[in-house]
Amino acid sequence: MSTAALPADFLQAITEGFPVDFLTREPGELQEYGRDWTRVYTPAPAAVALPRTTDEVSRLLALCHQHHIAVVPSGGRTGLAGGAVAARGELVLSLQRMTRMGPVDLLGNTVRVQAGAVTEAVHHHCAEHGLTWPVDFASKGSSTVGGNIATNAGGVKVIRYGLTRQWVLGLQVVTAQGEVLELNGALEKNNTGTDLRQLFIGSEGTLGVITEATLKLTQLPGKQDVFLFAVPDVAAVLRLFRDARRQNAFSISAYEFFTDRCMARLGRHRKLRPPFETPSECYVLLEAEAKDAAAVEGWLGSLFERELVTDGVQAQGAAQAAELWALREGISESLSATGLPHKNDISLPVAGLEAFCAELEAIFSARYPGWEICLFGHIGDGNLHVNVMKPDAMDKAEFLAHTKQADPTMFALVQKHGGSISAEHGVGLLKKDYLGYSRAPAELALLRTLKRALDPRGILNPGKVVDA
Amino acid sequence: MKILVTAKRVEDPESKIKVKPDGSGIVQEGLKYKINPFDEIGVEEGLRLVAKHQGEVVVVSIGGKEVQEQLRHALAMGAHRAVWVNHTGPVDQLGIAALLQKVVEKEQPDLVILGKQSIDDDQNQVGQYLAEFLGWGQATFASKVESMESEQEKNKVPAIVLTADKKSVQVIREVDNGLATVECQLPAVVTTDLRLNQPRYASLPGIMKAKSKPIEELTPAKLSVDVTPAIQVLKMSSPPARKAGIKVADVPALVEKLHNEAKVV
Repeated sequence: MSTAALPADFLQAITEGFPVDFLTREPGELQEYGRDWTRVYTPAPAAVALPRTTDEVSRLLALCHQHHIAVVPSGGRTGLAGGAVAARGELVLSLQRMTRMGPVDLLGNTVRVQAGAVTEAVHHHCAEHGLTWPVDFASKGSSTVGGNIATNAGGVKVIRYGLTRQWVLGLQVVTAQGEVLELNGALEKNNTGTDLRQLFIGSEGTLGVITEATLKLTQLPGKQDVFLFAVPDVAAVLRLFRDARRQNAFSISAYEFFTDRCMARLGRHRKLRPPFETPSECYVLLEAEAKDAAAVEGWLGSLFERELVTDGVQAQGAAQAAELWALREGISESLSATGLPHKNDISLPVAGLEAFCAELEAIFSARYPGWEICLFGHIGDGNLHVNVMKPDAMDKAEFLAHTKQADPTMFALVQKHGGSISAEHGVGLLKKDYLGYSRAPAELALLRTLKRALDPRGILNPGKVVDA
Repeated sequence: MKILVTAKRVEDPESKIKVKPDGSGIVQEGLKYKINPFDEIGVEEGLRLVAKHQGEVVVVSIGGKEVQEQLRHALAMGAHRAVWVNHTGPVDQLGIAALLQKVVEKEQPDLVILGKQSIDDDQNQVGQYLAEFLGWGQATFASKVESMESEQEKNKVPAIVLTADKKSVQVIREVDNGLATVECQLPAVVTTDLRLNQPRYASLPGIMKAKSKPIEELTPAKLSVDVTPAIQVLKMSSPPARKAGIKVADVPALVEKLHNEAKVV
């Protein structure tokens, strides 16, 4: 648990083989690098290593393997499941100095970047050429490419573009023993047996450390219209979604929903103006690219006639679009700033959402009678963020105990409906105990076999996802 | 009361503006457009005034048929009808003020609200010219005390205050050393500053209704205005690129640079 945990001969080897600023043990840095956006664990890493090259990562891991030193690979640390938490004297391996971005390949629509490149920086880098890497979410200003890939991150554009997994062509991965793997190069097609690249995507740093990636790019989308609708309840959110999805007049790039309770917390935290005169129980943010403007207008008009929405606004210009997006993207931050949320990030088959939500209501009223529950999420992907807020009068320990007790009931319901207990936040430490609700025993056994094969000494992100 | 509000079409400030290599103008391709934000504030203020005192808001724009988009936006916000002066050639601020003067004479509003300037060429002239041409009083840069609105947008209260006899308006304007309150007899010209209000979203029902609201088409010829510009734009160029910053090792090095190179301390 302390810096003394690092053996002297290991430190000696670091001093001899690496630059002077390679390792830091400054207490402030340890605090900072030891945690992600979860605030449940007390950070306590032994040190932070800040390599600049793949070669340094490779030599460091070989050394850690030799000395049995636990390593927590670390990107932008914006995770919400504790995957990048170092609370047990581990060595944090931060990729944040590896931010180089290569030239954009305009013929192949690809770009090679180092793992520490910040998501938004990649967007800017490619936008000059009319291209984008369509992995996009609220934390894009801090999250890194390596972290996005290691967690197979989701976000707000999944409905149109899919997960990070779909946008990675090649990977450079350093194994637990320090070997450097070049997987798939920059190939779109490569049918030469099992695709090892996919093994590392979403493995949360437990199988290898991603150091570089060749990203697949796509054209920047055309003009996007942003709408916010007021609807009476969750069932209406789904009704509107069913209707929107059937339209040919536009393609949906985001379909997000949030409840008025989220909006109220936002209003308390930041002075964002409510877009409607009269509040409604639920709101839907729709971002769409119109293919047939007249047909879109016809559809919008029909929403009122068919009573699918009770009110709606359309952003005029980019500033208003950003304002509407701020309502959705600011929720997570505002919930934490105004109270203590207990977060769950679940997904269901879209077709089963309605039945699930009805049963979820019953669980809420049985388990959390009268509590404030803030629901929001990427409902177009079947993804719900369930935030149970700590009642002001209750103390933190009692609250955590209560939610811990209630979670299995909800996870059992998720399992019954064929859903996942972690849609896009990963497993990390937070969801590890509940993995069995989404993965069968045979699957878990196979995951352990893989872990042992790739990391025989268990030095890579130990204690996260599954135990070997 | 009847209020005439301008709605100039300008490049969306979020778009990336590039000057053409030959300096003849800006690259139009891929640009997005919107109502001049100052004018949008004017529309909002007009709507608040008529909500309180009854009347109608007429919105006017000058340009090719594409400016109908901005007129529709203002109509969707709640303006009652629109006047479109169809003109595609070059026109300068004097020409615009002359056209607006004719529209004002035709419409006879009690109040004309314009943005204090448009964000494309930042001239800040038209409101003043128009008041002069009409011989009306003017209150420029209308502002509002601490108006970073919220709280249901300060209950949609207009910041431009009509006096009890409804014969004049009181306007708060920002001046160098504080705020000044001026009073103008109606009819008058008011130009809006950024901190006057926060314009409403265009509601979908509003957007639907806007489709059937009338847009009257006029031309410089119909208004008998010669818009041949007196001012000619010779060349446009980008501001010089900013030099990259540097990192200094420590505070003494910073102080040394500030003292010897920047000469500010």
